[in-house]
Amino acid sequence: MITQKHILEVKNIKKHFQVGRPSIFGQDARRVHAVDGVNFHMYRGDVLALVGESGCGKTTLSMLLMGLEESTDGQIFFEGNDITRATRAERKRLSQRIQMVFQDPYESLNPTQSIEEIVSEPLVIHKLAKDPIERRLRVVNALEDSGLKPAADYLKRYPHELSGGQRQRVVIASALVLEPVLLVADEPVSMLDVSIRAEIINLLADLRRKRELTVIFITHDLGTVGYFADRVAVMYLGRIVEIGNTLDVLKNPKHPYTKALLSVIPVPNPRLRKKREILQGETPNPINIPTGCRFHPRCPVAIEACKISDPAFIEVERAHDAACLLLVK
Amino acid sequence: MTIQAASELLDTKTVASPTSFANFWNEFSKNKMAVVGLSMLLVMIVAALLSPILASHDIFTSEGITSADVYQAPSAEHWFGTDDAGKDVYSSFLYGAGVSLIVGFFAAFISIVIGGVIGIVSGFYGGRVEASLMRFTDVMMVIPDLPLMVVIIALTKPSLFNIILVIGLLGWTTTARIVRSQTLSVKSHKFVLRARAIGGGNPHIIRHHILPLVLPLMVVQAVLVISTAIINESTLSFLGLGDPTTASWGQMLYFAFQRGAMSAGATWALAVPGFGILWVVLGLTLFGQGLEQVLNPKLGSHHLMAGRPIVKSEAGKSADVLLDVQELSIHYIDNENKAPARAVEKVSFTLKEGELIGLVGESGCGKTTLMLGLLRLLPEAGQIVGGHVYFAGNDLMAMSESQIADVRWKDISIVFQGAMNALNPVRTVGDQIAEAIIKHIPEFPKENINARVLQLLDLVGINAQQKDNYPHEYSGGMRQRAMIAMALACNPRVIIADEPTTALDVMIQAQILELLDDLRKKLKLAIIFVTHDLGIVAEICDSVLVMYGGVTAEYANVDTIYNAPKHPYTQELLKAFPDLTIPEKKLTSIPGYPPKLNNLPAGCRFAPRCPLAFARCHTEQPALHSLKNGDLHLASCHLLEESK
Amino acid sequence: MTNRLRTIIRKVVWALFTVLFVLVLNFFLFRILPGDPARAGIKDPRLTQEAIEAIRVRFGVDKPVINCFESLNPIKAGSCTVNPFDTQFFVYMSNLVQGEFGFSFYTNRPVADMLRERLWNTVLLISAGQIFAIVLGCIFGLFAAWKARTTIDYAALLLGLFAWSMPTFWLGIILLYWGSGYGLPIGGKATPGMSSYPAWQQWLDIGRHLLLPTLAYTVIYMGEYMLIMRSSLLDVLSEDYILTAKAKGLSTFQIMKDHALKNAILPLMTIFAINLAYTVSGVIALESVFSWPGLGGAIYDALNRRDYPVLQGAFFMIAVSVIFANLIADLTYSYLDPRVQSE
Repeated sequence: MITQKHILEVKNIKKHFQVGRPSIFGQDARRVHAVDGVNFHMYRGDVLALVGESGCGKTTLSMLLMGLEESTDGQIFFEGNDITRATRAERKRLSQRIQMVFQDPYESLNPTQSIEEIVSEPLVIHKLAKDPIERRLRVVNALEDSGLKPAADYLKRYPHELSGGQRQRVVIASALVLEPVLLVADEPVSMLDVSIRAEIINLLADLRRKRELTVIFITHDLGTVGYFADRVAVMYLGRIVEIGNTLDVLKNPKHPYTKALLSVIPVPNPRLRKKREILQGETPNPINIPTGCRFHPRCPVAIEACKISDPAFIEVERAHDAACLLLVK
Repeated sequence: MTIQAASELLDTKTVASPTSFANFWNEFSKNKMAVVGLSMLLVMIVAALLSPILASHDIFTSEGITSADVYQAPSAEHWFGTDDAGKDVYSSFLYGAGVSLIVGFFAAFISIVIGGVIGIVSGFYGGRVEASLMRFTDVMMVIPDLPLMVVIIALTKPSLFNIILVIGLLGWTTTARIVRSQTLSVKSHKFVLRARAIGGGNPHIIRHHILPLVLPLMVVQAVLVISTAIINESTLSFLGLGDPTTASWGQMLYFAFQRGAMSAGATWALAVPGFGILWVVLGLTLFGQGLEQVLNPKLGSHHLMAGRPIVKSEAGKSADVLLDVQELSIHYIDNENKAPARAVEKVSFTLKEGELIGLVGESGCGKTTLMLGLLRLLPEAGQIVGGHVYFAGNDLMAMSESQIADVRWKDISIVFQGAMNALNPVRTVGDQIAEAIIKHIPEFPKENINARVLQLLDLVGINAQQKDNYPHEYSGGMRQRAMIAMALACNPRVIIADEPTTALDVMIQAQILELLDDLRKKLKLAIIFVTHDLGIVAEICDSVLVMYGGVTAEYANVDTIYNAPKHPYTQELLKAFPDLTIPEKKLTSIPGYPPKLNNLPAGCRFAPRCPLAFARCHTEQPALHSLKNGDLHLASCHLLEESK
Repeated sequence: MTNRLRTIIRKVVWALFTVLFVLVLNFFLFRILPGDPARAGIKDPRLTQEAIEAIRVRFGVDKPVINCFESLNPIKAGSCTVNPFDTQFFVYMSNLVQGEFGFSFYTNRPVADMLRERLWNTVLLISAGQIFAIVLGCIFGLFAAWKARTTIDYAALLLGLFAWSMPTFWLGIILLYWGSGYGLPIGGKATPGMSSYPAWQQWLDIGRHLLLPTLAYTVIYMGEYMLIMRSSLLDVLSEDYILTAKAKGLSTFQIMKDHALKNAILPLMTIFAINLAYTVSGVIALESVFSWPGLGGAIYDALNRRDYPVLQGAFFMIAVSVIFANLIADLTYSYLDPRVQSE
């Protein structure tokens, strides 16, 4: 396990947003604890799924990885270097190595650019493949790798002429054209129709094999992670509460939050209707984080101690960690 | 369904920014206002450019003019008469056009550049830069500009240059605000974030992603700023602050008005220059409005427009159930000359008391249209072209407008998708619930309404204190609960739930589903649950109707649909849907995309994507076949007919 | 401290700041720009040096503009030892606080006295015009939006654009010409000699004088309000909550009254506030056409007489009135829209 080198290591990363300005009436500025101490690491070629409900900090975490937000505290080591302190020029170089696929293919493409302009834009920015023929070749390759064949049919078209699935393929192609090693995919299928989701997930899985990509797959849908991810990290209120190999987490969840989350995912089989373990209320406001274990106010099995002490990660089985006081033996 | 969604269905919506000039010109030339406005403007520009040729008299010399020439009526010699100095009004009018246009264009140019830079910089960079620039803009905006122009021109020399400068320097505030908000909205798009993620710096993003989407708006704004500048120049001139070396239309009016044109009855001296201003400003306004319509097309259709008349079908007979939908067909007709979009065709289903039916399909399959059609709530382009909807034996399609209004909400209510937009933002939640009771149960004692509202809120798990809150003070899940409370207000017998959990988190979704399931048991409600999520349907529904491309693909009880599906679409859809209980299953997708409803395939609508399609599927539409005698199972597929 | 109170305080503070800005702007404009009032006002060659000096003292222009600088122009350095309380700027500010605007170069009367009554006349004209314009504009806009894409809608749209495109003063001239044919008064606020008549007849007389300018004002700005109301109502009527209201079984009238109007009027309020500064502009030219004794008329006269103190005072009054009206519109808006209070 230690023989392999970590491609990415995230250490106690935090991002707090200030809300409102400090008031002249003496009220202190409040802080949103969007990401509040996240730790994980990835090996080359790994696919890690980050799962959580809205407001759990998964999108902010992706912004931190991309350098689109500045961290409040903590470090992110990419290929051994701390990238949270990267200068602007270093950050630009990094963007060749780390790329992102966005959630909404209707929003993430500029309607005034043709497909060729969109996919070649990264090359232009990084001043790569200055020769027009070579550039065209790389664009065509990226498009065909993303399943838009023949690419020549798409080059001159505009985003509004494509369907949702095709657009998402363009987004993927424009990320691949720089040949990154790490791909952050932020809910890549949540806006797509059911019949098309599978092909995008399968595409990402193929690309990962072909290009040895390391992928962070951000999603709110635990149902889809099993088809793609090697490992799953479940987030709640700015922290990871459970992380482990996908099948271990899905079949044998340890954290009460993961258990509840798994129990409420609808199963497409009416013969398997089961008792759902529905957590009442909503995720607390990340401005006022509960004391102790941040999950205790909604936890069905919370004990007195949960209100006081913040649980640390415990390795419950090999490569399967969870943060819950009840797991302490 | 929103009007937006309807327009997407019809495929009439053009993109916000036309992608090529030819494309733009095509749209532009169809817009009457824009074309008329531009022509009016061009005529005047040409007249101004050709004024040395077109003018019949030299207005820059007073030679040979005698007092007898003053205020002469229009004649062959002087087409528009003469002015207070005995000069030819027609010729002055042509020269005046040039002055007015020059001031308008140059001043507007200054304003647009300043306003554009301030707007883009403050919108793009945000933070302190934005705060201070926008504060400055607000201050400048409140200061009345014309009085300030008057003061400045009065204190300096009223030369054309000064006038242009002052009008230009004071006329940028609206532009700055508009450009800023457009920049903010462009910036919020994910493609800007994507450009950042691929390493693009600020200059790159502004040039390639902000400017192309802000410029069209700035052009529209420029047209309006030119017209304001021309009006401002003429007003300044009319107040006697015009450049004495030129003769703008405003100055012509000033001199005529000051020097007794009124008392002399010389209406031409007043009418002609005023008409010039009106012509140019009207041309610009029409051009601007038309341009705006071309660049930012709105459908101009809304929920209160009279719908299309229902095509009545022969009276049928209702089955002995609560709701009996028989062969309902709905078309969207955008343009009488074009083929209609056949959004729903001959869909039938029944609903018993306490039954929960799932209506499943991908986006654009017509499921929302079907639901709106049941209560005749279709947008203006939608038309019911056949079928019956019997509620408790009465045909809703045969009712008068006021009869159906009484059925709405009292018997059949709707929980819409995305409750943020479905609740009125300026009225409290409690008030909106009470409104339904007051409308439908007028005999309900006034003093008990409050208690009833609280009871309803309690039923869906909302605190009494939150009754008087506004929708924006609720979270997404709470708004959906409030919407359900509102739907229950008049004790309806059927609730249509149109994707009620789509935008919600899984945990909140589970809460809402549990609530609906509880309510149906408690209140014996019949529910139509519209969704694209096969998992939800399996969890709560009794029967399932699978729609594809506006028709029924398969309709059966829930167990049959999931464990013995017969239609290839249902089978393929299930294969594409992730199942947590079998994570090792290989997901397969259905190749291709759902059909556009205004461009349907000739045969079976699923044929182009169907793995089992054969020749007949591409030419002939399959009919709905009953597969089990006695038990409910219908599907439309040629294969099923052959195998029989 | 509630959010709402804080919003109100913030808005009031900004309005006051804007007034201060206008004050400073107004002072320095008249000192920096070439038409120096001290020189411009006293150019008569017949005056002796002593007389000029006396006038300079009388108008307070013998003192330094501001300490350290002769003007805001840093090249024209002045003495920093000057008592800042003995400068023109301080005198100007302290006078203004007491409601003093100096003396007219032309009539030698206090500007404040000259303009006080004129301010009310202008407010009268603008209020009458605005009220008619808003009410009529909203009604027409409402019908146009309701009957969208019908002949009614297109006719209203074209008429609105047409009215909007007319120069205010030109429409004034047309109405003046047309009205004089019907025996309507062609200028001023009251017929001379009316003061001996009973009050109601005096009011009626003012009403007759007010008729034409108000009509001109109404026609022009009605078009604009109609266009805004139309497009704002069109937006509102295509919102989902209107569909909800319809699904609730409410009648068209109920939906309009209880769901659409308030939402549609909110954007109208903002635009009204923003446009106030612009709509006031129209009144200046209009008053000069109708010889209406308002601030616009005062500006027009002052321009012809190079009477800078009056110009300065009139500008200040107009600006402050607009800032004040804008503040009221702004506060009403935040009162009406629940989303503002809890931002």
